[in-house]
Amino acid sequence: MISFTQGRFVKMRWMAAVLLVLSMVVMAGCGGNSASTNKQSANTAKIGVPAYLSGAGAAYGEAIRQGLELAQSEINAKGKIKIELIFEDTKGQKNEAINAVNKLINKDNVVAIIGPTLSGEMFAAGPIASQAGVVIMGTSTTAEGITEVGDYVFRNALPESLAIPNTVKKATAKYNLKKVAVMYSNNNDWAVSGYKTFMQSLKQNGVEVLTVETFADKDTDFSAQLTKIASLNPDAVMVSSLYQEASLILKKARELGIKVPFVGNNGFNSPQLMKIAGAAAEGAIVSSPWYPGKDDAKVQAFIKAYQAKYNKAPDQFAAQSYDALYIMVNALEKAGSTTDRKKLRDNLAQIKGFQGVTGKFAFDEKRNPAMEATVLIVKNGQFTELK
Amino acid sequence: MDFILNPYYLQIVMFMAINAVLGISIYLTLSTGQLSLGNAGFMSIGAYVSALLTIKAGAPILVSVLCGGVAAGCMALLIGLPVIRLQGIYLAIATLGFGEVVRVIVLNLKITNGALGISGIPSMAVIFGKQLSEVGLSSGMGGLTLQQIANLLVLLVLIAVVAVLVFFCIRVHNSRVGRALAAIKADEKAAEVMGIDVTYYKILMFCLGAVVAAIAGGLAAHLTFYIGPKDFAYHRAVEILLFAVLGGSDVVWGPLLGAFLLTALPEVLRFAAEYREMIYGAILVVMMAFRPQGLLSTQTLRYIKEKLGRSRVNDTSTQPG
Repeated sequence: MISFTQGRFVKMRWMAAVLLVLSMVVMAGCGGNSASTNKQSANTAKIGVPAYLSGAGAAYGEAIRQGLELAQSEINAKGKIKIELIFEDTKGQKNEAINAVNKLINKDNVVAIIGPTLSGEMFAAGPIASQAGVVIMGTSTTAEGITEVGDYVFRNALPESLAIPNTVKKATAKYNLKKVAVMYSNNNDWAVSGYKTFMQSLKQNGVEVLTVETFADKDTDFSAQLTKIASLNPDAVMVSSLYQEASLILKKARELGIKVPFVGNNGFNSPQLMKIAGAAAEGAIVSSPWYPGKDDAKVQAFIKAYQAKYNKAPDQFAAQSYDALYIMVNALEKAGSTTDRKKLRDNLAQIKGFQGVTGKFAFDEKRNPAMEATVLIVKNGQFTELK
Repeated sequence: MDFILNPYYLQIVMFMAINAVLGISIYLTLSTGQLSLGNAGFMSIGAYVSALLTIKAGAPILVSVLCGGVAAGCMALLIGLPVIRLQGIYLAIATLGFGEVVRVIVLNLKITNGALGISGIPSMAVIFGKQLSEVGLSSGMGGLTLQQIANLLVLLVLIAVVAVLVFFCIRVHNSRVGRALAAIKADEKAAEVMGIDVTYYKILMFCLGAVVAAIAGGLAAHLTFYIGPKDFAYHRAVEILLFAVLGGSDVVWGPLLGAFLLTALPEVLRFAAEYREMIYGAILVVMMAFRPQGLLSTQTLRYIKEKLGRSRVNDTSTQPG
């Protein structure tokens, strides 16, 4: 008798478990299917977007998604070429990015891919897309050597190797820099790449480096490094890190009485910097292809449309992905096909003189962007052009 | 056939095989009841050693992967001697610390290229492709392109590695060593009293686990073109442990099943878009609530065998004689 009731109990527990799992799958199925109901027609181009949509860097993925969707709705309204976007989450992980790219190419048959978000993901997924002969274009992959992994790898993200020398040159001339201190986050691939470029361009400009101090992502205490820097009395401090650490560094530095300008890599290029650091952000310098204060009808129209759709101001990630889709459509139109991957690649490589919200754009022979960056400085809590 | 030739599915199966090897590595250390979280660290040693050997020294992949395994084995012996005295949660924390130390060293060494990681690692598929075209198969064979044949070859190699390891584990399990391991797992003190050299067996399995994890790392490095310190961080250590926890650590099939399920699940759930992570987590919670000992145990295996045996008996009895 006992064993009978026990047996029944175990059976019931199993059934409950199976039911639970089933109901969850069904629930999710109802939620997720709406995206794939788009009708396929001859002039619809399918573009895959593997992006960092969940996890610590989800904010970047979200901005990229919004920039793309805004461009998509505008392009589809015009009606010449219709765009279908297929988003896949990569969680910022290499293997997930490989799987996502493989799925987009082989299961969804996309004509091109915009993404993935991180440089590390691109190093792993780029060769795969290239081998399959599918254009893959990064909008936020700024590290050195990205496009060298394959002939089909493009990017419209301004590489740090272009942006940083630009910033250093301008800042050196403006503030007559002789000796500086350098700080960087040594467990972030992209920040290390930025640091290397900083050292190179400082050398080229004949600026002496007094000290190099390192820290790690998610650090919150920078007093040791900054106390040392304060004692050396540099003309400026170069920082290569994400905005979270950069803001805290600025705050601490001003507390310790370091009043010199801070020159940053792309991590400084976020409205969050002023939000977290407040008045301490004054005098922070960064190069950016995206400058919302630009006196340009296209830029202002984009900001307005973005505001209306998402009720917030666009950042550089949204702006770059917005441009990326327009660049892609431009090449698709020239190729005269929405499915020919090879033709798309060849036409994309020849894009020149494209006018987007991040300025005039062209690909160089290595499929990197050739574009101009504006050097910005924080003044009264706003990015303004450094003249 | 189209299904298996699709590079997307092929890639998933390859990841499954790699994860299966990792699952076996944690099964080996768990077989003496040691909870080690250091396997991600050993995996990264294997991955970096073999990647650097192929890139800098031009060694063949097979040699470099084995060298990675040996390097990790030596490392395991070195840290195993002091650390193995610890038990349970203390060993887990010590090995977790080891994994972090490896990660930080990799992050700061010049040869590992720090946080930037190593890109452009020659992949097995590309090398197989080259060798095939040298043999004169550049246009493919039997309706398959060169690329497809190369991919299938890689898959065969991975499956062979898994098969050899499973065979090895089963042989060990049924040997004198296996009995000793089972005794240690059941009760260390009692095993010692019976005259089993507990420290020897524990270090043996710890090192074997490390070697197998490093082989998985080396194979993974030559599958994905790129490795960075982020790939072998804390989350990877937990993921490896999860294979054994979900699948069951009593029999070698347990971690294997766990690895298959946990690799397939995120891909199967892709249709759920933003609900994916939620469902994945919820399934794990449900599994643990209803089956804390893991999916497969000795009892379930015996049960399955009995069922199969009975049906076979029935089959023969119904045959006209």
